[in-house]
Amino acid sequence: MSFLNISNLEKSFGPTRVVHDFSLAVEQGEFISFLGPSGCGKTTTLRMVAGFETPTAGRIEIDGRDIVRLRPNQRNIGMVFQSYALFPNLTVGQNVAFGLKVAGASRALIRARVAEMLEMIGLPDLAGRYPFQLSGGQQQRVALARALAVRPQVLLLDEPLSALDAKIRVSLRAEIRAIQKKLGITTIYVTHDQEEALSMSDRIVVMHQGRADQVGTPFQIYNTPATRFVAGFVGALNTVQAEVIDPGTGRVLLAGTEAVLDRALPAGQVTLGLRPEMVSLGPAPGRETVLRGRVVEVDFLGAVIRLKAELGGEVLAFDTFNTSQKAPPRVGEEVSVSLAARDLLVIGPPA
Amino acid sequence: MTRIWSWIALTFGLIYFALPLIGTVEFSLRMRRGEYSFDAYRKVLADPRFQETFSYSVVMALATIVFGVLLVVPTAYWVRLKLPRLRPYVEFLTLMPLVIPPIVIVFGYLRLYNTSSWLPLTGTTMGTNLLLMFGYATLSLPYMYRAVDTGLRSIDVGTLTEAAQSLGAGWVTILARVILPNVLVAVLSGAFLTFAIVIGEFVLAALLNRPAFGPYLQLMGANRAYEPAALAVIAFAITWACMGLIQLVSRFTRHGRTA
Ligand SMILES: Nc1ncnc2c1ncn2[C@@H]1O[C@H](COP(=O)(O)OP(=O)(O)OP(=O)(O)O)[C@@H](O)[C@H]1O
Ligand SMILES: [Mg+2]
Repeated sequence: MSFLNISNLEKSFGPTRVVHDFSLAVEQGEFISFLGPSGCGKTTTLRMVAGFETPTAGRIEIDGRDIVRLRPNQRNIGMVFQSYALFPNLTVGQNVAFGLKVAGASRALIRARVAEMLEMIGLPDLAGRYPFQLSGGQQQRVALARALAVRPQVLLLDEPLSALDAKIRVSLRAEIRAIQKKLGITTIYVTHDQEEALSMSDRIVVMHQGRADQVGTPFQIYNTPATRFVAGFVGALNTVQAEVIDPGTGRVLLAGTEAVLDRALPAGQVTLGLRPEMVSLGPAPGRETVLRGRVVEVDFLGAVIRLKAELGGEVLAFDTFNTSQKAPPRVGEEVSVSLAARDLLVIGPPA
Repeated sequence: MTRIWSWIALTFGLIYFALPLIGTVEFSLRMRRGEYSFDAYRKVLADPRFQETFSYSVVMALATIVFGVLLVVPTAYWVRLKLPRLRPYVEFLTLMPLVIPPIVIVFGYLRLYNTSSWLPLTGTTMGTNLLLMFGYATLSLPYMYRAVDTGLRSIDVGTLTEAAQSLGAGWVTILARVILPNVLVAVLSGAFLTFAIVIGEFVLAALLNRPAFGPYLQLMGANRAYEPAALAVIAFAITWACMGLIQLVSRFTRHGRTA
């Protein structure tokens, strides 16, 4: 039995159902991300765990105890909000102490815990400041400290970094992950930023229209997407049409060239997916299928150059690394690209 | 051009407000023939009935403020949090005392709570005081509710509530430690208006026959010459002192507003 068990959770607002049959088992100390586009029900699911929404059906158990009937303040679940939600009338120290005070902790314990928490988030000297005297990143760190000070059983974060600018976002996500690991706290993290989800999580739940399309490690989600939606939503993906010649061995005709996928395929037309980094310019070891075509777009991004080439009626985007030795190809130039047929993903029909 | 007009408007306003005030002050100092003196003030302040009625009204005002805050803050909070669609209706309801004359309210009270009714509040002094306080709270409701509701608008009530809940706080704790401190300045301005209303109120106190400051003012005005002017100046000074206090308090509790 896992530590946090969500089973067959459903939620409707009036006639609209926004979460469908959502089940998830989270191990103690695990970091789970809910990833999905806007409006797919991430926040609603998280809020049901926190107790701010009542599920229409389903169970939520922590440590074997059903918590659906508990009020939010009885659940011992920490929450971090996108808008920080620090109490504006309290100092940083008082904000962090709030939960402990409510719980009636002794003054000595509160003082020690507040100091420990502020140390942990790297702001030991700011206890006396008011929230409006802090930067956004600092405020969110204080919010994290406040949520963790009461030693909750589960930590929930709803897009905690999306109000911050890009640099802080990257550094803070590493910090959050480090703190989470150090405390070993079971965490659910809501985001619509796939890079965030991929870099932080033990496992990712990709949500789509109120359902969990796929649950898996970042590696699984990225490399073996279960649905067309997951394949398209996580990472950049080329999709190409191919004709199956031999369903048994997975021999296909792809942009006029034969390739063998080495797995059984349905007969007829299939949609295949390919990540840009699985395609190289020119020949490459291990990439046996070579296609010829013409460059149609060159995007110089610095370290990486993203190219698009038209190959037998299909357009493929792919990346090469920048080198000072060789200028990137020009638009219109004839090129050959290579890929490995086993890297091709079979994309199911649209859901 | 516009400059000149604004100066004219300002001067006109100043004259409009200042002249009666100056006139009143001047008149209140003229009790002794041929020279200025504070005789009128001395007389007023020495009058035991002034002291009685004034302290009665101050106590009533404080009680009304406490009752009003306890009634309005949770109500306005709850409406904002859980019944946002009802907000316009509630706001309309709180405006009713402005359109219903106090005399109607007090006759309603007397009908409902007279000695032969099911709740004979007017039968005892304490009961009548209570009734008067409820009346005052009704009269100040529009100001109190608006002030508090405006204060609540400046904070993210929903998220702060959820943050406090997830930290284990119940409703009483949330109201006392999160909501009230953050709308304190608004509550104070509502309290100040309540104070001003209660100190000067005449109809309710007179018809309920309570020894309040308003009826006393009226009595003096009808029977004396210089003392009412002195009283008016004193009342005015108290009002300004209140406003100064509010300024002070809001300066000390400014954190967060700008965040
Ligand atoms: N209180 C509510 N009443 C009615 N519908 C709601 C309510 N809350 C959310 N919804 C609807 O439920 C759906 C899911 O909303 P939710 O906030 O969970 O999405 P989300 O995945 O968190 O999106 P985002 O990334 O934009 O935050 C949306 O279509 C939304 O309109
Ligand atoms: Mg959301």
